[in-house]
Amino acid sequence: MLRSEHVMARLQRGRLVPHRLSPGDDRVLSVAAELCDLYAANVGSPRANLERELASSEGELGPGLDARRGFRIVRALSKLLEERAGWGVPTGSDPYTLRTRIFELAAALPEPPASERGLLEAPTREDVLSQVAVETGVENPEATMYADRQGAQLLAEFDRPSPETLVRRYNVAQIQGVLYSARDLVVDLAEGSDARLVFHYVKLLGLIYELEPVSGGYRLRLDGPLSIFGATRKYGLRLAQFLPGLLLTSPWKLSANVDWKNRDAVLELDSEKTGLESHYLGPRAEREAGDVREAFVRAWDRAKDTGDWKLRRGAEILPFPEKKTALVPDFTLLNTATGEIVQLEILGFWSERNLVERVALLREAEGRGHRLLVAASERLGTSQEALSSAVDGGIVPFKERLPARAVLSALA
Amino acid sequence: MIELFYEAGTLVATGSSTLPEPFVWDGRTRQWRAPASAYRETVLGLRDAGVPHEDRAAAFEKVPLESRVAMEPRPYQREALGAWKQEGLRGVVVLPTGAGKTAVAVRAMERVGRSTLVVVPTLALLKQWYSVLQDAFGGMVEVGLLGGGYHEITPLTVTTYDSAYIHAERYGDRFAFVVYDEVHHLPAPKNAIIPRMLLAPYSLGLTATPERPDGGHELLPDLAGKIVYRRAPEDLAGTYLAPFELVRIPIELTAHERFDYAQAEAVYRDFLVKHRLPMRSPEDWQRFIMVASTSHSGGREALLAARRRREIREGAMRKGVTLETLLRRHWDDRVIVFAKSVEEVYALSRRFLIPGVTYETPARERKEILDRFREGRYRAIIASDVLNEGVDVPDAGVAVILAGSASRREYVQRLGRILRPREGKRAILYELVTTQTGEEHTARRRREAFA
Repeated sequence: MLRSEHVMARLQRGRLVPHRLSPGDDRVLSVAAELCDLYAANVGSPRANLERELASSEGELGPGLDARRGFRIVRALSKLLEERAGWGVPTGSDPYTLRTRIFELAAALPEPPASERGLLEAPTREDVLSQVAVETGVENPEATMYADRQGAQLLAEFDRPSPETLVRRYNVAQIQGVLYSARDLVVDLAEGSDARLVFHYVKLLGLIYELEPVSGGYRLRLDGPLSIFGATRKYGLRLAQFLPGLLLTSPWKLSANVDWKNRDAVLELDSEKTGLESHYLGPRAEREAGDVREAFVRAWDRAKDTGDWKLRRGAEILPFPEKKTALVPDFTLLNTATGEIVQLEILGFWSERNLVERVALLREAEGRGHRLLVAASERLGTSQEALSSAVDGGIVPFKERLPARAVLSALA
Repeated sequence: MIELFYEAGTLVATGSSTLPEPFVWDGRTRQWRAPASAYRETVLGLRDAGVPHEDRAAAFEKVPLESRVAMEPRPYQREALGAWKQEGLRGVVVLPTGAGKTAVAVRAMERVGRSTLVVVPTLALLKQWYSVLQDAFGGMVEVGLLGGGYHEITPLTVTTYDSAYIHAERYGDRFAFVVYDEVHHLPAPKNAIIPRMLLAPYSLGLTATPERPDGGHELLPDLAGKIVYRRAPEDLAGTYLAPFELVRIPIELTAHERFDYAQAEAVYRDFLVKHRLPMRSPEDWQRFIMVASTSHSGGREALLAARRRREIREGAMRKGVTLETLLRRHWDDRVIVFAKSVEEVYALSRRFLIPGVTYETPARERKEILDRFREGRYRAIIASDVLNEGVDVPDAGVAVILAGSASRREYVQRLGRILRPREGKRAILYELVTTQTGEEHTARRRREAFA
């Protein structure tokens, strides 16, 4: 994430256009590559050294990118590279002990240690330092006395990205930077986008949502608990953290009200036009669940007798506003004879807490007249005990794959 | 029956179809919701009206706090505390720096005797309050820290405004009493949301200078309580604050420095003229930074020139030599040197072999250095802005300002460092000002502010 001073955007008739770099532009890529080189070349050197080189590179590389904002772009890129750096301590001896001894000796002198040896033969700075060197065995106490400062830290490791990756990260980071000042966020999720993933991040970040069905999908309005008492930028940082999560799926349209330098502005994005890529990996549960879901569809297709039940991909969101979450079923099962509809959710990797929550949601959904099945894999969870008690609460357990008959018998 | 819950910086009520202001119906989650700060009036209201209710919001506890540090309060401290009690244990106390605001807070904590959160503007003050509270209550309760790399929440926790802004909604139910140190920071738009996220029915704001140029002090009564007690430096000078002498030492640039300076000055002035930028106040400076960092051409050069100009002024070679002379003259008087930048602190610390204190200094080492300075084991220390704003350094006989900004608040508060009362003491404040540069003007403005 960028610091606010790195964030750049243009305001055009009330709309914000965050600064972006073209990942196809050779000049941009060569600057990105040079900065990566600079970091890589500094592995093993002190931080102050790296910072000095970066400061001079902003003057050399910046103007080639952009006459007036080039140096800020270079700073922003280096900030993003810093997130991929690991730092180490430079010395074996303890700088704190060393300097404390130096200060004690100096303070014990009848007058301040002289910088040069004079005729009066007053004790000098050199005398103090060499006495400490003798006592501690540290060769150059002056150089080591503040070796624990941040600038003296060594760049221990650097996870080098490709120039393209850096530029893509930059483009997302600039939009995130604009969102720091956002008061709310409205996302129109169109059909085909993964609402479950979206709600995963809504819940993770402690945001509050309002859900409204609109033609072709759902409209999601996001802000925080205090927002109801007046717009606040307090949740801007979380809305910024939400964005890469949203970028993991599509299609959607986004609009945010932003307090931009004390002016009202709007940020708008369309997933089909952004060309942005997320750097989030996505929740583990979702990655694991994908395979299980595909396997279930195949198993259902192969099943000889599914009674009157037809399987469809889920397209609904069941909101549970009081619990600040929503349930997004994977599948909808329709009984062609009775017209009964049952929603089915297959959990990916789960924790004990997920299960307890799901059982509560099942009850809540039932109270509202929805019928819901939740299936959880024995393999993808942590506690068999928790699973067996959740089964009593209505959760359908399965081993490697969810067989069609397990669902059919739960439907019966 | 009405039940109250604390939820992420807000107060949620269930079991009633309508609730009075400031509760609103939150359609997003289908609950009655109010800012957490409504807790006091809500509970008092329900109690007075005899409405049956259950308080599941408050998670604070009684903590028996009795200071181990025996100190007779000065009369004005006693008055301040009395005025604050009179107003229902809520309000702002205005006392000059050096008058012992911290002691008032410690007394107030004893009086409330419940979980307490102290909010401070800087990491230096975080560390300072930690050591004060540790000294006073260390045997009875663990002192917690939130911010600056610490994340330890206890019934007596010190945090910064920045950390409180982020984390208050997680811990806002745990504290019955909140102390805002340097409370003039609270009305800043970002900080003003902090009190709303805290249930704390009791609060105390402390400052020497509540007024804000943006008029934000008008929000204080709502955020921390009204001003319940106020004393100006004149009210206490002589009796409680040591008299002091102000000595200004002009420093001439060397020929080489003068040449460099003139060059940088020309680039910087050119830019100001070209963009018709005035330069009379800190706001003008902010504006210059903004214009220069977004300017089409010459902006970066102007910024660099402005920085260079400042560096020459602040780092003038003769300043170092003069400082050496002053250290020699006052080697037995406990000298505190204020440098402008962190780098300068470390450079001077290396040069004179005296301890440096900056925001980088770890909490324990910082306490050790200041303790030793207090005991006289260290004769001098060099500090960056870290010692601003009420960080306590008792008994410094001499202060030297190497370079400062023209901000009135900074100046008054720095002066406060050496205005600690001590018998027979005459404090001296040296100000080393480079001549024929902008610093002269800065220094004059400072003294006018104090006159």
